[in-house]
Amino acid sequence: MFQFLLPDIGEGLEEAEIVEWLVEVGDVVVRDQPLVEVLTDKASSELPSPVAGRVAVLGGVEGQRILVGQLLIEIDDGVTVKQDFEERETSAQAPAETPAATPPSTLGSPPPFAAAAPSSSVSPGTRPKAAPATRKFARDLGVDLTQVPGSGPGGRILLEDVQSFSTGKQGGAARSLDPGLGVMPAGRHPLRGVRGAIARNMAQSWSEIPHIHSLDEIDASVLLGFCQESKASGMPLTPLGLTVAALARALRRFPMVNGHINSGEDTQEVVIPEHVNIGVAVATETGLVVPVIKNADHLNVAEICQAIADLAQRGRSGSLLVADLSGGTFTVTNYGSLGGRWALPIIPPGQSAIWGMGRIADRPLVVDGQVVARPALPIVMGADHRLVDGDLLEAFRHEVLGYLADPQKLLAGDIF
Amino acid sequence: MAELNMLQAINESLHFEMARDERVVVLGEDVGHVGGVFRATEGLYEKFGEQRVTDMPLAEGVIAGSAVGLAMAGLVPVIEMQFLGFSLQAMHQIGGQIARLRNRYQGRFSSSITIRSPFGGGVRTPELHSDSLEALFANIPGLKVVLPATAADAKGLLASAIRDPDPVLFLEPLRGYRGIKDEVPDGEYLVPLGKARVAREGTDVVIIAWSHQVSLACRSADRLAEEGASVQVLDLRSLVPLDLEAIGDAVRACGRVVVTQEAPTTAGFAAEVIATINEECFYSLEAPVERVTGYDVPYPVGLLEDIYVPDEARITAAVRKVLAA
Amino acid sequence: MLTDMVAARTQAGRLWNLQRQGRVGTLAPIDGHEATFVGAVHALDPEVDWFVPQYREALALMRYGPEVLDRYLLYNLGHPAGGFIPEPIRALPCQISLATQIPHAVGLAWGMTLRDDPGVALVSFGDGSSSEGDFYEAGNLAGVLKTPVIFLCVNNQWAISTPSRKQTAADSYAAKAAAFGFPGVTVDGTDPEAVHLAVSEARDRARNGGGPTLIEASLYRLGPHTTADDPTLYVPPEDLVAAQDNDPVTKYRELLSSEGLWDDAHHAEVTQSALDLFDASFERACQWPLSPDAVLDHCYAEDTPRMARQRAALLASGGHRG
Repeated sequence: MFQFLLPDIGEGLEEAEIVEWLVEVGDVVVRDQPLVEVLTDKASSELPSPVAGRVAVLGGVEGQRILVGQLLIEIDDGVTVKQDFEERETSAQAPAETPAATPPSTLGSPPPFAAAAPSSSVSPGTRPKAAPATRKFARDLGVDLTQVPGSGPGGRILLEDVQSFSTGKQGGAARSLDPGLGVMPAGRHPLRGVRGAIARNMAQSWSEIPHIHSLDEIDASVLLGFCQESKASGMPLTPLGLTVAALARALRRFPMVNGHINSGEDTQEVVIPEHVNIGVAVATETGLVVPVIKNADHLNVAEICQAIADLAQRGRSGSLLVADLSGGTFTVTNYGSLGGRWALPIIPPGQSAIWGMGRIADRPLVVDGQVVARPALPIVMGADHRLVDGDLLEAFRHEVLGYLADPQKLLAGDIF
Repeated sequence: MAELNMLQAINESLHFEMARDERVVVLGEDVGHVGGVFRATEGLYEKFGEQRVTDMPLAEGVIAGSAVGLAMAGLVPVIEMQFLGFSLQAMHQIGGQIARLRNRYQGRFSSSITIRSPFGGGVRTPELHSDSLEALFANIPGLKVVLPATAADAKGLLASAIRDPDPVLFLEPLRGYRGIKDEVPDGEYLVPLGKARVAREGTDVVIIAWSHQVSLACRSADRLAEEGASVQVLDLRSLVPLDLEAIGDAVRACGRVVVTQEAPTTAGFAAEVIATINEECFYSLEAPVERVTGYDVPYPVGLLEDIYVPDEARITAAVRKVLAA
Repeated sequence: MLTDMVAARTQAGRLWNLQRQGRVGTLAPIDGHEATFVGAVHALDPEVDWFVPQYREALALMRYGPEVLDRYLLYNLGHPAGGFIPEPIRALPCQISLATQIPHAVGLAWGMTLRDDPGVALVSFGDGSSSEGDFYEAGNLAGVLKTPVIFLCVNNQWAISTPSRKQTAADSYAAKAAAFGFPGVTVDGTDPEAVHLAVSEARDRARNGGGPTLIEASLYRLGPHTTADDPTLYVPPEDLVAAQDNDPVTKYRELLSSEGLWDDAHHAEVTQSALDLFDASFERACQWPLSPDAVLDHCYAEDTPRMARQRAALLASGGHRG
């Protein structure tokens, strides 16, 4: 069954009117025999039959307008296999210079939407500004640009900002602060919730624990270099992670630093826990929280770094559990990430020591008798002077710094 | 080796090619007896005779159109459009015919036609004599577009253009005819089409340019070197085919880019260079690409010319801007 | 010559139907022009002389070989191979841009003399095309250089809907030769023998170094300008009737029949033979291969780096789906 679809015979015609049928259903026709007279915008034309056969179906009545591509007439030629009417003939025989070879609906229609690359939850106005080279650098490092403070013009993120961020250093002064930080409306507000709990804990620590603090500044170049190299392995390590690993081993060696003094009306005791559970302070919108890495001395360095990242992210998203926040035996606070260099941290109640890390920044240090610029990491260790004497404090600190000076040691003999 | 200006280099190349291949014929207005209004074809008529060097009637259309027939007959026509602005009188033959010969006839006929034409500013010409139209031609598939920036390149690129199996538009800078002088190798000297040239090494920023702007870019770079900036200059030499690799290498090395052209801003070839950078080496960019161009107005009259054509100062300002960005 | 004229008219009918069946694109019917084209071609030597057409002539070029028909049908199918006329055929395919082929023909003739090739170039164009600048520039150059070229201006009285009297104020198209400095002659374009004579004379002149000739062949366009045109909107019906009465094919058939050189049986044979040839050629054309990346072929001698990538991307995506 040969289906003769209405062709575009006039360069861009879309339809034609059937003026007069020159054959009837049942007629036998020969090739090139005129079948019908049609009228287009341009002219009236007779259309000749492409095949010989018997007329089976007329595609319209006289006076009817049909579209280019619609069925004009069906002729049983005993040869052609009937096509599904939906399939248009798109063979190489399509008219050479007629645009209808392309279905009109696709001319000028907009391209299909490319799936937008998944972007961070940043709204269009607050998309971080960074040059293409910087973006690629950040992407290769796995750094989320929305987390990086920019020190360039207009808050633009520079290459150094990404570098600092990835190694724990801070860049220049300009930071993108939480706009609600420090903001409270004038008036009286009940002290409750997280703020209330923090206030109670701080007051308890301050009144109960006589604090002793030991301060030092170390050359962090080896530490940073070690972290930089670890990126190639696909599991990037951070100074904080390495510090926690070092502390875990030192606490195992010096269990008294892992313990605390219980001083109540009825009880006066020294408690030495079985486990080393290191809390890592995290700043959230609602305040400081300290999720705890349980059995930190049983984790290898990579696991510790992963645990820190995981807890920090859950802390920021408010999905920490009570269990995550309890049972700490030692605390690390990295106020360097807030930009601070030196602080005298307060030991949480129920613990006897705290390790504080400040922002790594270039400082003049003496190396081999020469004054050179080195990345300097300020460290403050606070301890309960009822339990931790000066010599223990210094020995503990020395142990930890030994690991930070040679982080390779942390990788040896990890598993217990 | 000899120090030649660009005109002399072009002339030398024409002499060499006509001697080498008897199929090469030269046609244009005033190219014969007078040797060309700029003397680019000097001596050819005397040496090779009126069969091969033809003073054509004043009709750009048939100068280009008859070249088609000559190529069909197996000759290698080197035609001259006396000034590039007047090639617009022959556009229907250059764009509609010459560029399409290979494609229409599917390779049956030779389309080895070279169209030489001077253009460019700084010489106080009347209307249409200085127009920089290279972008119009670059957008016509089938043509190659070549612009030498040195005398040596003028010789070597012209020889390559004449030998090239495709039609080549060979654009010569008016200011460069006598103003550009350098060492030119003797004898046969070929510079390949489609390969850019690092005119000056540098690492902080690259100025991408073609034709006379290359010398201005180099002068600007030398000036900036005194201030401690390391500026590369990339001479594209061919707009079509474009050396994608060289552009990518330069941008990856420097990270900051200035493109300079005499033509008006909108849809000039600098736009194509920047689009190419976007495709080839976007992530190497430290700052947006800066382009230095003529204004979006017809090429102006003499008194306004200096403010229109990019000069060393404007190029330098653009480099500074891009370094600070 | 009548054989070729009848064949051309017959094949033109088949080609028209193919267009109305949507199988080939817009084309310019030859009806009414057969005497001019066939007469001209028969005065040339296809081995040495070039025929440079506009776009209406192809069916009359059988003396140049059957490949011309193959390529003409490929052209109408929209296949790129339609532009390739194989060596050593000295005929060009259709030129869509009116009159641009005239300078080409002059250059071709010029080039032939430079290469000591004894052939001439005949360029065919319409009355409308003679208004284009290319006609004047080329005619002027041909006169100056005395190239061996024959300008055949086919005056079919219409440039689409523009009648000849609006195309020029000159006494005739032939008269324009005066501006070029060579002879211009008019001839009855419906008389193949008259055209043959005029072209022969022009050819001799050219071959003997006498330079170009402008021949104006006057006839009437019996069909529409192209398959997309409706002449009933502007052609006075009585003019058309008069022209049909003067149909060159009919006239010449009557003449030769009366001289005993033609009869109905012979006519039927020629007609059938022409259709068979046409159908076989069209069948071949429909099967002609088309590679998936054909769109990128024959732009430059070698792909530019960017085109090489475009080609690879095109092939990777499956390419042309014809």
